[in-house]
Amino acid sequence: MKITFWGVRGSIPAPGPETNRYGGNTSCVSIETAGGALVIIDMGTGLMHLGNALLRGAFGKGGGKAAVLLSHTHWDHIQGLGFFAPVFIAGNQFTVWGPGGTDGVLEGILEGQMDPNFSPLQTLKNFAAKFEVKAAPQGEPFEVEGLTVVAREHAHGASTALSFRITEGDKTFVFASDVGYVDGLDPAAVAHYAGADALLHDTTYRPDDQATRRNRGFSSYEEAADAAIAAGVKRLVTFHYDQDYSDDDVDQIVVALRAYLDAHGGAAIEIVPAREGDSLAL
Amino acid sequence: MRVKFWGVRGSIPVPGRSTNRYGGNTSCVEVRPRGAVPIIIDAGTGIRRLGKSLVEEGVRGASILISHTHWDHVQGLPFFSPLYRDGNEFHIFARQRDTHLEAVFSQQHHAPYFPVPLTAIHADMRFHELIEGAQFDIGNAKVTSARLNHPWIAIAYRIDVDRASVVYCADTAPFTDLLLGREFVQNADLQTLPPPILEELAEMRRGVVALCKDADLLIYDTQFTAAEYKSRPHWGHSRPDDAIEIAREANVKQLCLFHHAPMRSDDENDQILADYRQVVAQANDKFSLISAYEGLEIPLGDE
Repeated sequence: MKITFWGVRGSIPAPGPETNRYGGNTSCVSIETAGGALVIIDMGTGLMHLGNALLRGAFGKGGGKAAVLLSHTHWDHIQGLGFFAPVFIAGNQFTVWGPGGTDGVLEGILEGQMDPNFSPLQTLKNFAAKFEVKAAPQGEPFEVEGLTVVAREHAHGASTALSFRITEGDKTFVFASDVGYVDGLDPAAVAHYAGADALLHDTTYRPDDQATRRNRGFSSYEEAADAAIAAGVKRLVTFHYDQDYSDDDVDQIVVALRAYLDAHGGAAIEIVPAREGDSLAL
Repeated sequence: MRVKFWGVRGSIPVPGRSTNRYGGNTSCVEVRPRGAVPIIIDAGTGIRRLGKSLVEEGVRGASILISHTHWDHVQGLPFFSPLYRDGNEFHIFARQRDTHLEAVFSQQHHAPYFPVPLTAIHADMRFHELIEGAQFDIGNAKVTSARLNHPWIAIAYRIDVDRASVVYCADTAPFTDLLLGREFVQNADLQTLPPPILEELAEMRRGVVALCKDADLLIYDTQFTAAEYKSRPHWGHSRPDDAIEIAREANVKQLCLFHHAPMRSDDENDQILADYRQVVAQANDKFSLISAYEGLEIPLGDE
């Protein structure tokens, strides 16, 4: 599978020259499967740019099909949906798998995003494409576009989010963003990440910043490193950088993360710093 | 007064190299009357940096005028850090609508969309509902408003203070082809409108021209090129041509292109400005033409 990063920023888009290198768009990652299918994770503002790129292929002609795995419905993970051009082309087909427990609850939340008080689209029914919304099963594998996915709910501040363990053949990619560990590293989370070829984990904060914002439900790069080491993963993908961090700040986080991994038994773990436009082939 | 632009983009924030010069944040304009707290117009993502700047400066309050509650005009509010400080006082003004204004903001702040509830806001936040055409005072500033032609309706504001005036006119479609309101307009087919609708549009246009009359600065939604407008007249945005017509009729001194389309690069915005400067030069228009960018600061009247 080929993983591409379209949005890597946390909480709110952060435009400006100081975010040019890593990018200022919010959470969106695409997976092109070995079988040629498309699976999208999260619908932050990066989704708009993915959508515009997709128009050059089958999605531009109404012949596209994709699944979306949605970690949670905070605004920075859904804002791109109304600007995702392929949903306005009849014939395209999308299935969103996300939290909420039931299809109706999740659809209601996405419908609320289009409420006419907030959006000129008014309702999801104004999409021309087929747009199905399903609650993701949790803890048991389900098939999405030829991938095997296991969703797991984790604490995210006062709320929760889903992480996804995604397997194709002998390759495994785990997406775990907006993770707020409550009492240190959670063994069930470690089991969910175990042995992954790549673990994408939010590295939202430096430890000093996290100390004053623990209730927000994000991880520091040290917590991400601890999880990667405990789970014995091959690569750790940094992600969901705080909106106030400049490119230079993120550079420093990557350097500090390397030192932390090396000092704590994770010297063999490769760091992949997620940057908009970059891809990772597994 | 001073007018400063913190977000100039329409629809959705667009980070990236191609927007570095004009900026990728959505609508937020600060009007600072001499010796007074700011009057902020719209709370798009640009308000985040304005908030940091106000905290540094020690400003403890402001009035916030909301043109309408589409996301690109309110998204920054939860990230406006002065709201989370005890003792600060904010007055938020917006159009009265079916949903109570405070409920709209509560919904925006509510799980499942945002982790921090409205009740976590420590500042004193007062909501003021406006009826279209309302006039009111904020300190020495006189504020007037008019209805715009936008899906679910938006309002324009004029602020007169310090012997100068600024008008903020976003978002609006021109007043000729479609009457936009609470009905969802599905497609772009333009047809001849019945006379009562045409008259309602003409009335709305007269209201906007009157609002802009002799203004020192007119900030106008010019999201679309002519070709884009043709395919999306129902989206509720104007072309520079529409703004120029209003500026001409209202005899404004300076017209500022605003609410740039998300995919418009800096170079394209430069080109649009250059093209329309030729248009106003050839027409011998009396106003000067500028294009809004993040950080642009314009002194007006007494400073």
